[in-house]
Amino acid sequence: MRSRSRATDRAAGGAARDRAAQRRQRWTARLFLAPTVIGVVVFTVVPIAGSVVLSFFRWNVIDPAHYTGLDNYRALATDSSVRAAFGNTLLFMVFAVSLQLLIALVLALALQGRMPNWVRQALRSAFFFPLVLSAASVSVVMKYLFNQDFGVVNWLIGQAGASPVPWLTDETWALSAVVLVYVWQQFGFSFLLFVGGLANIPKELHEAAAVDGATGLRKHLRITLPLLSPTFLVASVVGVINALQVFEQPYVLTDGGPGDSTRTVVMVLYQTAFEELRFGEASAVGVVLFALILVVTALQFRLSRRFVHYQ
Amino acid sequence: MTRSHFPPSRRTVLRAGGWSLAAGGLAATGASWDRLTAADIPGRDGSMLTVAVLGAAIDPTMQKVLADGFQELHPDIPVRLLAVQAKDWNDFFAKILTQIAAGRAPDVVYVATEGVQLFADRLGVPLDARVKRDAAELKEYFADVHPSLVESMMYEGSLYQLPVEFNAADMYLSTTVLRRTGVELPPDDWDRDDFTRLLRAMKRKGGAHFTPFYWTNRLWGGVVPWLFVNDTNILRESRAPGGEWLWNSFYDARQRAGRGGGFRWTTPTATADRTVETYEYLAGLVRDGLCSRPEGGSGTNLVGAFSTGRVGATPAGGFWAGGLHQAGVARDAYDATYFPRWRSQRHQFGGAGYAILRTSRRQDEAWEFVKYSTRKDVMTSLFAANTTTPARRSLLTARRYARTGPAHWDVFYDTFDRFPTTGPIPAPPQVAAVELALTKHTATALDSPRKVAPALRAMQADLERAMERGI
Repeated sequence: MRSRSRATDRAAGGAARDRAAQRRQRWTARLFLAPTVIGVVVFTVVPIAGSVVLSFFRWNVIDPAHYTGLDNYRALATDSSVRAAFGNTLLFMVFAVSLQLLIALVLALALQGRMPNWVRQALRSAFFFPLVLSAASVSVVMKYLFNQDFGVVNWLIGQAGASPVPWLTDETWALSAVVLVYVWQQFGFSFLLFVGGLANIPKELHEAAAVDGATGLRKHLRITLPLLSPTFLVASVVGVINALQVFEQPYVLTDGGPGDSTRTVVMVLYQTAFEELRFGEASAVGVVLFALILVVTALQFRLSRRFVHYQ
Repeated sequence: MTRSHFPPSRRTVLRAGGWSLAAGGLAATGASWDRLTAADIPGRDGSMLTVAVLGAAIDPTMQKVLADGFQELHPDIPVRLLAVQAKDWNDFFAKILTQIAAGRAPDVVYVATEGVQLFADRLGVPLDARVKRDAAELKEYFADVHPSLVESMMYEGSLYQLPVEFNAADMYLSTTVLRRTGVELPPDDWDRDDFTRLLRAMKRKGGAHFTPFYWTNRLWGGVVPWLFVNDTNILRESRAPGGEWLWNSFYDARQRAGRGGGFRWTTPTATADRTVETYEYLAGLVRDGLCSRPEGGSGTNLVGAFSTGRVGATPAGGFWAGGLHQAGVARDAYDATYFPRWRSQRHQFGGAGYAILRTSRRQDEAWEFVKYSTRKDVMTSLFAANTTTPARRSLLTARRYARTGPAHWDVFYDTFDRFPTTGPIPAPPQVAAVELALTKHTATALDSPRKVAPALRAMQADLERAMERGI
């Protein structure tokens, strides 16, 4: 009886010690997390909250801000430039992300072929290199290359006997030029993800498929792509988030023109705030863009349940 | 005995306390070391006169002439140049306004025509009282500066800046192309049809990769010079009353005739017949391959094309003489003349000068700097490279342009004398929205002559919204 109660006491004491140890661990974890959490709150959460609050005010930096309720949001809804910018941005996202993923995937698969190791390394570096360049600098150079009258691109087109293309000055072509420049610079990121993803696919699966008589294309369709789907999800989510926030390329290449054909949401945000001094409306644009990114990303994760296969 | 349920445990608290003490000690030790911080930057504590200029911080000429020179003359007024890099004036103003919003407003800001009314309306100090007080000292300056330039720095009867530089949109022509075409430099009174004929002749001799007329889509030097020579504008222009105090003090009856208290730009006129006519003419030039579809930006890639004879003509001001020279273009490889006549030969110009901010606690010292910037020796040194046109007539001499060209350098200042109606680019306080509407719809209007009307209707709507909205 006594021994049982001692055992019970010991057990109770042990459980209490475990709980105390867990509590200590939790507090230690919180202490370590505190600097990061404080940083995120001060530099991300507070500015976001500030933007949301500012979106209900009219403020031009010079005069005191005054509350206007939903006026800024109403103004956005009736502004054809803003509507065009959202349309352009979505269109840009679809084309840029698709092209980026396609090129990155094809090149990553191509690099798996037989070639000397140094060639593979060199190509890998070359494909990744544009990503480390400044987007503004790249766009300045590209503006020269795509110039209708003196650009190298049109010179090459001319050598092929075709007429020069008004890349940056025609509504039909301008967005294509911006997409091309963006994809050239950005595909390296997806490429690197795919290279990593491909390296994680066990060779035995391909060998087993080969033994079963599967050809190259079938192997890729049945083994490579399904097993690469988690990488595809990451690449597409990051790609979509970046594409929806595109700014430097259209700003430098076309300044949003001709007309509104290459004006993007972030460009509208920048011009509204820093050129036209309507910070309240610009904040409203930011809030709507934030919501759009949230919805699109959530949608991607939702769809991923159907298409993403984990080993 | 169980532990207290009070989180965290004593040991954890003591450990955290120990680390905090250690970190605090380390921080205290760091703080006691002699090191540079933002507060060590001269003038950051508000102890100096701060002058914001557009340009690179590493520009030694600007530093030497504006800061060091002023310091020598006024050792009692410590001055700091705040060089702000920006892609254009709107970008520069945005950065200045951001500084003002952050509570770090400079005392003096270099402001171009694009921002004169914005600053005057909301931020600037009228110079009237100080100009009247120092009239004797300024007499020589005003005698050397054309009244049109001074008037462009006025707003609702008051003067806000003293112009130090300007650029009128004249026409630069490649002499290489002229020789190849077998024609002379056009006469001063050439007209629009002469211009079109010249472009056609250039194109015939130019070959496949040649653009007779190259221009950019912006407020200065874009479509506006064409609107001016066709005696129209994108906004209805009038003069504010007032300004007699200045005109009567410094200019004779002939020079002050018709002057007022600065320009007013009000109702948009994008759909007016003459505006439509101007755009149709330009769209026709684009369609016939006589001129480029205008891109946005400053036309930085133009120097190479112009110097190698791939461009025949382009609108530019005195600033381009220095630009071409710096790019290694020979002084006789190009020349300048006036913009061709249409219904009038009214030219467009943009100027710049220093504005004093209302928030400044050093307005008297700032005024000394403004006056200093207008001195002849200061302008001579500052503009030695011919990258702009000095506001003082006496500085435009054959000697100044001997190295850079062009042969007809006199057109830069004579534009005012030959064409007295020459005026500033339309720049109301809502200039950013106005410029955006102009450039945005100009690009689509010039796609083809049939797109002119719908594009100008859209421009009119945008301009009306911009003018109603204010800033």
